[in-house]
Amino acid sequence: MSFRAGPRKGENYELSQDLNSEYRDKRKDAIKRVIASMTVGKDVSGLFPDVLKNMQTDDLEQKKLVYLYLMNYAKTQPELVILAVNTFVKDSDDPNPLVRALAIRTMGMLRAEKIIDYVSDPLQKCLRDDNPYVRKTAALCVAKLYDLKPELVLENGFLEQLHDMIADSNPMVVANTVAALSDIHASVTSQPDYSPDDPALFNVTTNILNKLLIALNECSEWGRIAILDALARYKTDDEKEREHICERVIPQFQHVNGSVVFAAVKVIMIHMRGIRREDLCKQFIRKMAPPLVTLLSSPPEVQWVALRNINLLLQKRSDLLQNEMRVFFCKYNDPLYVKVEKLDIMVRLANDNNVDALLSELKEYASEVDVDFVRKSIKAIGQTAIKIDSAAERCVNVLLDLIATRVSYVVQEAMVVMKDIFRKYPATYEGIIPTLCANLDELDEPEAKASLIWIIGEYASRIDNADELLNMFVDTFTEESYPVQLQTLTAVVKLFLKKPDVSQGLVQRILNTATKDCDSPDVRDRAYIYWRLLSSDPAAAKGVVLAQRPPISLSRTTVSPVLLEELLAEIGTLASVYHKPAETFIGRGRVGADSVQRKGQDLVDDRLATQKALQTVAAGQQSENLLDFDDVPASDSQPSGLAATTIIPQTPAAANLLAGTSANPLDDLVSIFGGGTTGAASAPQNPFGGLAFGGENGFGSPVNSAPPTSLGSSVASPVQTQKPADDLLGLF
Amino acid sequence: MAIDGLIILDNVGRPIVQTSFHSTSPAYPLIHIDTYNNALAKVSRPDDVDPVLYVSGINDDKPSACCHVGCGGLRILAPISGDVDPLFAFAYLRTFIDILREYLGHVSASTLRDNFDVVYQLLEETLDSGGHPLTTSPNALREIVIPPSLLNKLLSVAGANISSLSAASSNPFASPIPWRKANVRHNNNEIYFDVVEELRAVVNRSGVSLSNEVLGKIDTNSRLSGTPDLLLTFSNPKVLTDCSFHPCVRLPRWSRDKALSFVPPDGPFILMEYRFSPSSSNSSSLGVNQVPVPVMLKPSVVINENGGTIDLTAISRLSTRAIEDFTVELYLGQGAGAPNFMVSGGGSWAFDPRTLVLRWEMANLPPSSSHSLRGSWTSSIPNPRAARAFRVRFAIQQHTFSALKIDQLRLTGEAYKPYKGVRGRSLVDLEWRW
Repeated sequence: MSFRAGPRKGENYELSQDLNSEYRDKRKDAIKRVIASMTVGKDVSGLFPDVLKNMQTDDLEQKKLVYLYLMNYAKTQPELVILAVNTFVKDSDDPNPLVRALAIRTMGMLRAEKIIDYVSDPLQKCLRDDNPYVRKTAALCVAKLYDLKPELVLENGFLEQLHDMIADSNPMVVANTVAALSDIHASVTSQPDYSPDDPALFNVTTNILNKLLIALNECSEWGRIAILDALARYKTDDEKEREHICERVIPQFQHVNGSVVFAAVKVIMIHMRGIRREDLCKQFIRKMAPPLVTLLSSPPEVQWVALRNINLLLQKRSDLLQNEMRVFFCKYNDPLYVKVEKLDIMVRLANDNNVDALLSELKEYASEVDVDFVRKSIKAIGQTAIKIDSAAERCVNVLLDLIATRVSYVVQEAMVVMKDIFRKYPATYEGIIPTLCANLDELDEPEAKASLIWIIGEYASRIDNADELLNMFVDTFTEESYPVQLQTLTAVVKLFLKKPDVSQGLVQRILNTATKDCDSPDVRDRAYIYWRLLSSDPAAAKGVVLAQRPPISLSRTTVSPVLLEELLAEIGTLASVYHKPAETFIGRGRVGADSVQRKGQDLVDDRLATQKALQTVAAGQQSENLLDFDDVPASDSQPSGLAATTIIPQTPAAANLLAGTSANPLDDLVSIFGGGTTGAASAPQNPFGGLAFGGENGFGSPVNSAPPTSLGSSVASPVQTQKPADDLLGLF
Repeated sequence: MAIDGLIILDNVGRPIVQTSFHSTSPAYPLIHIDTYNNALAKVSRPDDVDPVLYVSGINDDKPSACCHVGCGGLRILAPISGDVDPLFAFAYLRTFIDILREYLGHVSASTLRDNFDVVYQLLEETLDSGGHPLTTSPNALREIVIPPSLLNKLLSVAGANISSLSAASSNPFASPIPWRKANVRHNNNEIYFDVVEELRAVVNRSGVSLSNEVLGKIDTNSRLSGTPDLLLTFSNPKVLTDCSFHPCVRLPRWSRDKALSFVPPDGPFILMEYRFSPSSSNSSSLGVNQVPVPVMLKPSVVINENGGTIDLTAISRLSTRAIEDFTVELYLGQGAGAPNFMVSGGGSWAFDPRTLVLRWEMANLPPSSSHSLRGSWTSSIPNPRAARAFRVRFAIQQHTFSALKIDQLRLTGEAYKPYKGVRGRSLVDLEWRW
């Protein structure tokens, strides 16, 4: 071994000495030290020849350690690994099945071009080995070989052999074979231009199906997951067969491993679609509930994944878990990410029977330590009020209690929520307005300020000192943030239309300031609109600005129904956890590579957005302004946000979504409203409340030419809003 | 479907052990480690890091996700790519941690470093480089990776023994039952069942349970020779709901007559898990169908400008059994300090200035006894926001909430008569609001 002379002294030199020691123990100990150095990142590649000498041994542990060393350097120094090939081939014939399996597994992992050609023969033998451990190891090796050199797998007939192995007597071998075939299938379908009759595709046939169903109950948890995944891909039109599959899969709900449970849920959700017997579906759903509840007593990260999936399932089947709200109560020590998901689900499960328990919980949460959680709890109170009419008054009382605590962020959040309650139940709770106004000085967050100003503007005729209150905001107008400016502007105009005598000066002052001293195009443009409207036709202004708006409502789903269907088919995957179709974040197959980068980027933003999404109510705030314009045509017939959402399946963007080409929520948003008559009124309820990130894409969409363009702009950046605002002016 | 590998980080976020990540670029594990450490830096409590982190790809790499769990002071990351169930990764991580515990006893940075060769072997055997978990059943695993203690013992004997040991396990996976070793021999044939139930409840200040659930499991330790086929029956199987079972349990038999028929693995395992609900109907209303909480707490907490006072009395509601390992914890809020408390009726209190948690401990609460904790603390922040609830934990020996009773255990397939043992134990984890 002269080509790589080792160092003469130092650690490696000593190791080299020991590796060549005549004593077995010393050599083994030296190998361990080499591995130890390797794991802490020291370069021990120089010892390669010395380590290699120790490969021939009947001590299995020592052999494993040497193999480990080889695998580590195989990637960087493939030329050295060639030296070991003969030993591998020899080991794959060893009388000890562990050695055979180890050899074949290691060869599969080496991923060195030069070694692959030597793998075929040993692999051929191992696939037919007497020992199931060797067979199941070899099965996975085929998938790896396919990854490196597909033609080798095809030429040697490994695929046929794998297909034969589905009928193996050992369930573990069946499971690994299915896993290997599925891996190969996935690697074929990830090619953009694969042919539908590629021999490497793994299509589950009726024959295979029966073998899988038999193996399912006998193999390990991991094997079950592989088999269940294959079952989820099985396509049939035979309803009886679907029922049969569901019935055979249901017992998997009783597995302790949550991942098996979700793999089973996925199979059921997919095959249930083709079952028309509603009683049977109900029965499946009922059986699904207990294992889901059980998962909530798992460690927090498992709970989180379970909660995200439950959230999705609930959007489809609201009858699932309907009596189980208490298990979602937040524990003080739950991590924030678990609490947030629980809150969301609690609101979903709220009904007349449990709303009192829910409200007292939410009130409790509102006094907790964590500010984020407190805010979210208060939002949840607002959502409950909007969801359940009969509980609205109780919600308002709870909010008033919270405002009475005078804790700054509690008051501010409650203010925002209050505004939404007013939007849902106009002219119902005017009695509390003085209490709200009394807290004016506490408010320093733009959203809270804007909310209170909106309330003042909306109820200007009932508030005696509305002009004084608004005057304060007009004084500081240029220092305020844009949302506050916009609200102030609108509120003053409302006040003027209601009480022209006291506010003539105020309205002139604000229109002056807003058109001259304001640098936001939104504010400036809106001021001009009001100005022209007021000066040309005050009656029309009244009709436009003060018109009744349809009450807001809480959307039943946070994702569009079409996307929901797609996600439900992927229950128990990253897609169902992110509530986003898979191609938006893995970029395999269905979407071109160039879009991946951008969509990946969106994902991060969008996860934030998803969190915000349920705060649909809050998000409506931005679009509030536009509501003022758009409402005239809407005031007579008013399908609310929910009604508009049901239009989705017929719209072009829905088709896009189905085809997996459009992941951008705005696309379908725009087209929803292209199809509907009441356009922008629904914006606040839109599930993708925190849309701001997607603005530019929405604009690029072809559907955008439809008249109610305002929607797209309501969520886009200020600069973009300018244009549609002008258009609208023209409309009027 | 792919778990790309596994990375174990120490308590400062440096990798100790990681799989070799054959099919990815060398930078791949590094970005995952970075992503986790960055996310950790952003949150105030380490537990608040989102459990699935999005990792954007570098260059033309596909984006991936990083699932992670904590274990002792360690953090174990499992990078996943493709549309994989994160639960799949978590299930594997938990299984791996259990295996580590079984092999190393205590899992920490130092035990991992000391036994890195075993840890590496375990990684190789449990996770395929293609992302498929392989052998995770402890029985099967012990045949192919020798636990360190056994190994050390053998090393102390003559060197010749080592190779004979390797030969001993030369026919692995010969067992027709995947979870059970073949040819098990024990001198004493015995099997123990520990019925462990945990009551988890949230209780409001007047002592009413808001949510209340009892989770039970049957920890089993089987030391039986040959291939014993067991049939376990209960006198009151009705108390068991939402059951999940070890794969060895024959499900059809359970659904037919609520009897557990199984061939157990050798050694310790969890036979089943269940939920106990006193009456499963009408679970939406309060009161009747709840498990009574075995203690009564009378909390009085007052928070003022510069601190607060606590007056807390705990009364055992049990009339015959003692409560053991009783602890009460309360987070006192940012800026808490200068705690000054008194306990009556035994026990001790402590304040951890790092976590700001006040802790009251008692080893034993005799039946129907009453104990109290009184005192005050100061805060550098006006009107401190302390936790809204006391966390109360304790154990009760020889007691189960469900009163689950094992009727009999029958053994077929083997000639011997095993020794059987059954024990009950209850744990309680309460959140008591004040």
